[in-house]
Amino acid sequence: MDSLRLLVDGFGVALEPANLLWAFAGVLLGTAVGILPGIGPALTVALLLPVTYGRDPVGAFIMFAGIYYGAMYGGSTTSILMNTPGESGSIITALEGNKMARAGRASAALATAAIGSFVAGTIGTVMLTFAAPMLANLALTFGPAEYFALIVLGFTTISSVLGNTPARGLVSLFFGLTLGLVGIDLQTGQARYTLGLPQLLDGIHVVVVAVGLFAVGETLFVASRPRAREQVTQVRGWTWMSREDWARSWKPWLRGTAIGFPIGALPTGGAEIPTFLSYALERRLSSKPEEFGHGAIEGVAGPEAANNAAAAGVLVPLLTLGLPTSSTAAIMLAAFQQFNLQPGPLIFTQNPELVWGLIASLYVGNVMLLLLNLPLAPWWARLLRIPAPLLYGGILVFATLGTYSLKNSAFDVGLMYLIGMVGFVMRRVDIPVAPAIIGMILGPMAEQQFRRALAISQGDPSVFFTRPISASLLSLALFAILAVPVVRAYQTRKARYRT
Amino acid sequence: MLPSTDVSRDESRGAGPDRAEVVVALAAIALGLFVFFASFSIDLGTGYDRIGPRFFPYVVAAGLVLSGSFLARGALRRPNPSPTEFHLQTSWPAIGTLALALGSSVLLLERAGFILTAALLFFLVARAFESRRPWRDAVVGLLLSVFVYVAFTRGLGLVLPHGLL
Repeated sequence: MDSLRLLVDGFGVALEPANLLWAFAGVLLGTAVGILPGIGPALTVALLLPVTYGRDPVGAFIMFAGIYYGAMYGGSTTSILMNTPGESGSIITALEGNKMARAGRASAALATAAIGSFVAGTIGTVMLTFAAPMLANLALTFGPAEYFALIVLGFTTISSVLGNTPARGLVSLFFGLTLGLVGIDLQTGQARYTLGLPQLLDGIHVVVVAVGLFAVGETLFVASRPRAREQVTQVRGWTWMSREDWARSWKPWLRGTAIGFPIGALPTGGAEIPTFLSYALERRLSSKPEEFGHGAIEGVAGPEAANNAAAAGVLVPLLTLGLPTSSTAAIMLAAFQQFNLQPGPLIFTQNPELVWGLIASLYVGNVMLLLLNLPLAPWWARLLRIPAPLLYGGILVFATLGTYSLKNSAFDVGLMYLIGMVGFVMRRVDIPVAPAIIGMILGPMAEQQFRRALAISQGDPSVFFTRPISASLLSLALFAILAVPVVRAYQTRKARYRT
Repeated sequence: MLPSTDVSRDESRGAGPDRAEVVVALAAIALGLFVFFASFSIDLGTGYDRIGPRFFPYVVAAGLVLSGSFLARGALRRPNPSPTEFHLQTSWPAIGTLALALGSSVLLLERAGFILTAALLFFLVARAFESRRPWRDAVVGLLLSVFVYVAFTRGLGLVLPHGLL
């Protein structure tokens, strides 16, 4: 097996002392930002981009991967102990997990979440190890038309799946595409939408947008809401999962993994959907469905496994196609670009040390995370005692620092604050921000591939429909955009007949 | 008519569309129109390219206008759009304090330097969150700013404005 040999080489890279340290720093930071409300992995990686500039990309990516996986573990702790999800992938965990905690079973909930995350993360990483090279080989045959079609498919699925209505996702997507237009056109060198400002000639950096939407938008939103005293459930002592807990957990872990990885790997965006599906499935299959809503352990085990497997899945299109399907993945793509690396099929042959070192470090990171989270969860929970004024003050200080040090520009800081205000309004009317971030980074790529494809075909637009892969991807995109309203219309009609 | 207290606002939500949502939808449409009309000032460049730098802006403009219209239609039709929006009350004093924090920080960053600006930002954000311990916030903010400044300039080699200090 070729990928096994490459994976062994990757472990050689990941187990170097310096890289082990990077991984450890990443999982520590990741767990912390996963636990803390208001700050997540996308924001953290964005803020660290300027710091890693000019350093070794292997170490930087190993740290980013640690943050990415770590946040998935940390998010569950907040969900279980506070009923406020630390991460969007942990919303479902709060349903049953917090009920368990209030019934005095916090440690069992934390344990099944941590072990389930480990099982799913590890199996997901194994699947990534074998799926990625296969997809990379397929992607070698892709030309500009196929890439364009793929990006369009990503746009439509991401914006119709995220958000309560497709219109919300699409508004966010097109806002991101507008931001992506700003700057010098890559093909002709003409300035677009720079409003005469020289600072905008290089375009708007994705870090400016991500930090604005996540840090400032979130701070404004939380500050504007009436403050509720959140109750942090104390973990008393450390009682291991009982035999019954194990018996009720292992199948949901595996089923969650089976749901999470493929959905994460498809360009549908994010780790939230698989958690919903896993929860619904566990409730249906459970022998004690009456416990759901009152602290059923299956409702923690399944969704937690699903979100970690999905996190591994998201790395498949990112590494093999350069297609990010979540905000964190979009920031990671920007990180690749910062190091002049283009993720895609070629990166597997041109930078095997980086790619396989990164994949191997995911195995290592999962082990570290299990050891860090299983016995130390009560200790980590102390982070939740940081008062909100200090937490959000700190978030804005780091947001300002990270944005300023991108280009040493106060203009960028001001722009970041402005985008943050837009982010606040988006949060207020429930428009998801992830499509904006994905749109702004993929928009210029879509345009470039579109124009390249037409240049190759000498201006004949039929290339997109006559090449089989491109044609099927575009039909899927059309289907994705039409399916949601049709299904909704059908449901409302059915509901009307009933009344 | 009911007096428009916060509570009655929540209960009467079914009566009309969410104004904020309508405003956002109109803003999206306006942005689309701007993208469309501003595209006329884009230089077409040397004609190597078959599509040219104006084509994608047209697509984006059309997308903004269309998605904004759908959002507006949805907001006007369904007066009670999403369950997460219940009990949304906006505390304008907090928003005002934060706007002051952000504005002052942009203006001061390169004049007063990072340490003072960040400390003030931290302090004002804490005010917006109704902290009742101003001295603690000021001290923590100053310590954090000094620590971050030293760690990132000395330790990680970033350049931050030193300003007055």
